[in-house]
Amino acid sequence: MSSLSASNTSHATGDIAVSVQDLSLTYTTAIERRPTLKARAKSLGRGTKQTRVIHALENVNLDVAYGQVLGVIGTNGAGKSSLMRTIAGIIPPTKGRIEVFGSVSTLLALGVGFNPAMSGRANVHLGGLAAGMTRKEIEDHFDEIAEFSELGDAIDAPMRTYSSGMYARLGFSVAATVQPDILIVDEALSTGDAHFKEKSFNKIKELRSEDRALILVSHAMATLREICNDVAWLHKGKLVNRGNPNEIIDAYQDFLHLGKSSVIDEDL
Amino acid sequence: MSTPLQVYEPFKAGLPPLRKYWRSLWSRRTFISEYSRSELREQHFDSIFGQLWLILNPLMLSAVYFLLIVIIGGSGGAIRYGHLTASLFLFYLVSNSLTGGVKSVTAGQRLILNTAFPRMMLPISATVIAFFKFVPTLLVFMVIRTFLGLPFGWEMLWSIPIIVIALIFSLGVAILISTINVYFRDIASFLPYLTRTFLYLSPILYEASALKPQLRTFEHFNPLFSILESWSLSIVHAQTPNLSSMLTALAWAVGVLLIGTYFFLSREREFAVRL
Repeated sequence: MSSLSASNTSHATGDIAVSVQDLSLTYTTAIERRPTLKARAKSLGRGTKQTRVIHALENVNLDVAYGQVLGVIGTNGAGKSSLMRTIAGIIPPTKGRIEVFGSVSTLLALGVGFNPAMSGRANVHLGGLAAGMTRKEIEDHFDEIAEFSELGDAIDAPMRTYSSGMYARLGFSVAATVQPDILIVDEALSTGDAHFKEKSFNKIKELRSEDRALILVSHAMATLREICNDVAWLHKGKLVNRGNPNEIIDAYQDFLHLGKSSVIDEDL
Repeated sequence: MSTPLQVYEPFKAGLPPLRKYWRSLWSRRTFISEYSRSELREQHFDSIFGQLWLILNPLMLSAVYFLLIVIIGGSGGAIRYGHLTASLFLFYLVSNSLTGGVKSVTAGQRLILNTAFPRMMLPISATVIAFFKFVPTLLVFMVIRTFLGLPFGWEMLWSIPIIVIALIFSLGVAILISTINVYFRDIASFLPYLTRTFLYLSPILYEASALKPQLRTFEHFNPLFSILESWSLSIVHAQTPNLSSMLTALAWAVGVLLIGTYFFLSREREFAVRL
């Protein structure tokens, strides 16, 4: 289990932060939407259970060093989110091994939040405690989180009353404020209005430091070109290429037969 | 090169390293208390009327069942009412833990998909919440039994280990049912029938001693029977409960907890994929 409070050692630039070795991930999903006893009983006579096997990741090798800002790109369904979840320890790999040398903070696609009936404040506390922070660590960061999210009094309102933008702002604020060794941000850079987008963009830039590793999943190519010093391109669960951001992104955009249009350069 | 802080390897059916799991669970104990408090606050149990409801609900239930007993059985009495109330209160500890536990994992979906943490915290919290709801009813019972003029005695202290046994059992069923609910989501709708059945099978509406000997042998298969029998003897009658009955209760409780924990731990790494 990852633990944010476990980070008290400093890391030298170039030290490995995350080492993904020959990682494969296969899901077996059931066809029926909700697994129920009733459905199982009904399918008893029919023999085999209806399932679909999805190869989310295949033999991915990837090392991320401290000081690196790695952008992860790829089309929908390329396995980007699956890769982030396995690195965060949420989904166990089917094959291969992942070594993580530091504390991880994640901002994955679903954002912060646990129980929408509870206030933003309660959710931040619960999320932090679940991630392994102490109550004091959360208290210390809380004002900063609340201020950065610009939620104001809404922080004490139930999260079900939040707009999607507010949700996203709070999520970003939590992940970026806790000062982890390794920060994973999945698709969360381009949320919020122009003002918050700018603000989160600057925050990421600020978080770039020699003793931290950032992994950003995004479709915002212009942003990735500017922030990252390394880009990995995933396609259908395989690592296609990795290296200089501009070269990889150019190749990716050529591959999409789109060329450099302002639409895809924009934060979509 | 330093050693990795975390290593993630393929999912194998079986248990994770238990000591490490326990450590990471223990380091997050504040989550459990914070979660229970937020949940209770959300259910308005921090307000006076919320707490009142917590006590009123089982009290009114016991009044209704008492009415039933008097009408069908034709007998009432202080002991009868005391037994009924005390037994219902303890039964509700188990039943609240069960109903709170069943959806604890599936309701924590967002958290599970976003954060790596010992998933066991969720059903544990459900049991803690059930316990917090139980404590005020226990105090109310103490007041009631004074009014009813039931005997007091040191033997009543036996109720403390019995509460512990009931808690172990509650935790076991919460963990077990939360795992089952991941795979069979309709188990929650089946639950009211299950709790109702156990309510009638257990010595709540009647006293354990009133049961025919032939039926008693079957009651070894009801985990709640020996728990509630010892409970009523100690806290209502102020008598020392039967040791073998207490040991049966303990064996059931520990057994259910071990089985539930084994199922949960060997499956929990798969939960993120199943939700």
